[in-house]
Amino acid sequence: MSLRARWILIGIVTLCSLYLSVPSFVPEQQRLDSALIPDEAMELGLDLQGGIYWLLRIDTGEAVRQELERIKGSIIELAEEKQLLLARSEVGGEVLTLGGDLPGLRKLVEEEIEIADVSQTDVVIELRLDDNWRREVVDRGVRQAVEVLRKRVDGLGVREPVIAPQGSDRILVQLPGAVDAAGARSLIEKTTFLEFKPVLDAAPSRELLEAKLPGGVPEDQVIVIQESATGKESEALLVPKKATLTGDMLEDARLGFDRRNRPLIEFQWNSEGARIFRDFTGEHIGDRLAAIIDGKVVTAPVIQSKIGRNGQITGDFTRDEAANTAVQLRSGALPIPLVIEEERAIGPALGADSIRQGLQASLLGIALVFVFMGIYYSTAGWFANAALVLNLLIIIALMSLSQATLTLPGIAGMILTIGMSVDANVIIYERIREELRAGRPARTAVQAGYARSFWTIFDTNLTTLFAAVILILFGRGPVQGFGVTLTIGLIASMFTALVVTRALIEWVYGDNPQKLRI
Amino acid sequence: MEFFKTATRIDFVGKNRIMVTISAILCAVCLVSMVTRGFNFGIDFAGGTVVEFQAPEALGPIDEGKVRSALSGTEYADASVVRVGPPEDRTFRVSLTKSQEENRNLSVDLVKELGAKLGGDVTMRSSESIGPRVGAELRRSALIALTLSWLAIMLYVWYRFEWKYAPGGVIALVHDVVITAGMFSIFQWEFDLNVLAALLVIIGYSINDTIVIYDRIRETVATRGETELDDVVNQALNATLSRTVLTSGLTLLVVVSILILGGPVLRGMALALLIGMLSGVYSTVYVASATLLWLGRRYGRVSAPAERKARAAT
Repeated sequence: MSLRARWILIGIVTLCSLYLSVPSFVPEQQRLDSALIPDEAMELGLDLQGGIYWLLRIDTGEAVRQELERIKGSIIELAEEKQLLLARSEVGGEVLTLGGDLPGLRKLVEEEIEIADVSQTDVVIELRLDDNWRREVVDRGVRQAVEVLRKRVDGLGVREPVIAPQGSDRILVQLPGAVDAAGARSLIEKTTFLEFKPVLDAAPSRELLEAKLPGGVPEDQVIVIQESATGKESEALLVPKKATLTGDMLEDARLGFDRRNRPLIEFQWNSEGARIFRDFTGEHIGDRLAAIIDGKVVTAPVIQSKIGRNGQITGDFTRDEAANTAVQLRSGALPIPLVIEEERAIGPALGADSIRQGLQASLLGIALVFVFMGIYYSTAGWFANAALVLNLLIIIALMSLSQATLTLPGIAGMILTIGMSVDANVIIYERIREELRAGRPARTAVQAGYARSFWTIFDTNLTTLFAAVILILFGRGPVQGFGVTLTIGLIASMFTALVVTRALIEWVYGDNPQKLRI
Repeated sequence: MEFFKTATRIDFVGKNRIMVTISAILCAVCLVSMVTRGFNFGIDFAGGTVVEFQAPEALGPIDEGKVRSALSGTEYADASVVRVGPPEDRTFRVSLTKSQEENRNLSVDLVKELGAKLGGDVTMRSSESIGPRVGAELRRSALIALTLSWLAIMLYVWYRFEWKYAPGGVIALVHDVVITAGMFSIFQWEFDLNVLAALLVIIGYSINDTIVIYDRIRETVATRGETELDDVVNQALNATLSRTVLTSGLTLLVVVSILILGGPVLRGMALALLIGMLSGVYSTVYVASATLLWLGRRYGRVSAPAERKARAAT
């Protein structure tokens, strides 16, 4: 390439890098307001700006159990329809056990439930999910959970959250910025499940209610307790097991206030929910209706009139409880529990400390290198320093452009690529000096110095690149970020050492190379 | 300015025997330590929970003993407590072997309990918790990453040079990793994810050094022939000596400044880099070159693909 072509290339790279690195040095608001400055600054990792990192795993055993419960439900219905004897049906571990009219049940299972593994002993049939089905159940669970988490995080107002499935049964969650670690935990609370059930009977306590039922609690009914504000049992209600309406059909739920400014939850049904609710309340005016959240009775008012789409739940809430419950109602339940496998929560103050210390150390190191190079190689040393500055700019620009994340080890990675870049220049300059000592004319010495060093530098950078790429492929979190920074840095360092310093030397000393001070 | 104005004539090769023996003993000690003492794995690899908290001024003077006695009698009695930073930071790190897989509120509960026992609101500065499964996965992927990078580098060196260069290069890498990891085992420094990253960088640096000298050996062989291989290797090592001293010196300058000023998070990483880079410079001479020399004496011919390189360079 001619010198002119190289200068054009260097000029373009420098201008682009300058332009793309500007946003990393100006405050966010200014950069978003200005039409000239690009919006994308270097992305800081959670270890630098603070925030929460979670690796969550869905409880696959529970997912399978719930699926088996669902199958059990449909088998019970089908058996009733076909009038088959079903003496036993229970889910234990990851097995659904059926007993009764075995040949009939077996036929029913094989016709209706195709993808389960079926095994039969003398007394029972055992159903297990086959691998494909199991995978599908877990997969569906993960997708559902991601969906629900997204909705819940939206309510938090976190900037640029990451919620993504990982592998087969995991979810990665990143909440950058100042997030309260304790508060964020409500995001992954298992369920907030809202049910409406008609009150069949009521008494001031469980004992008194049981006394009213000489035959015991009927099979399809259950006793629920309403607690007073002090946590004491204030009323026991008899309700059906099956809910009339559940939170699934909610379209919206939000915090509201009554006339005395007490917090309550306002909700709105979707069209199907509204129809059921209207019909039900129309038929049961004068009866009581219990609103139950997570198995606890929140309120059980008497139905005064037909209610349609909109309603309210009043209860002994604090403002925060009502707001949180509303968010959770709106986002739906997390039917399958999530386990925190990995958590990294970094307070913003700690992140700022780390940045400060990492930067100070790095800047000091770079300054020492600068001074040394300038003294040891004189003019040529300052050329190398200029190349080093461009190197840093290119790294910042490429990091901003690719939206790669700068982590704390990433800062160290940046420093190390500076080491590599210095090494490249040292190799070249030492070679030029050697050629000069051997008595070659300056022009030949410079040319030979670059030519003979080229493949050395290429090989050394490429092998380090292998290590960096393997870090990206197999590392996680901060280590991966380190690999990305290292890769970008190595590419930038090859360019600056092999192209930029050489162009500078040829430009300044092209006509009288004997003046080169190296 | 120049450190080595006149060409040095140090007889590196002559000390091969004694140096290789020393290396072998050192590596053996490190390996024994890794097997018998094992590592002081950070929670990244071992699993567990670490919470860093800051006590408010209002609580008066506070030290590790006070924090420990606050925790004794609670369910966190087996926690280890370490101060972070200077005393006026009032910051401590509490490590538990349990992870949040069993109790997702572990870190929050711990801070609450601390606040209650110390009698004031303490602030959680950071919390990390890693379950046993993730820890085991990280250990495994670390091993895979190390092995793969060794393999990739060996193949590349084989492709770019003669095969006799490849074993020396890789043995040198293994040597550096063993020495660095061994030091972490012997002194029981905490081995975490950042130290692993450092090990991978050491591999990159060490091969960098080795290739620079291999290149020079190959070039010298091309001009002088290989009748006096010892002398050729010595000449190549001397010719690159000033580069070796300068580069490693400058890089170490940066590493040492990170070690001293970079703060507690980067300390382990910088320490690993320091040891690994020193070992890398040493191993280039006494492991990589020594192996090449031995293979060259045994099988002859260490110069073949040099022509390809010479052609490509022009």
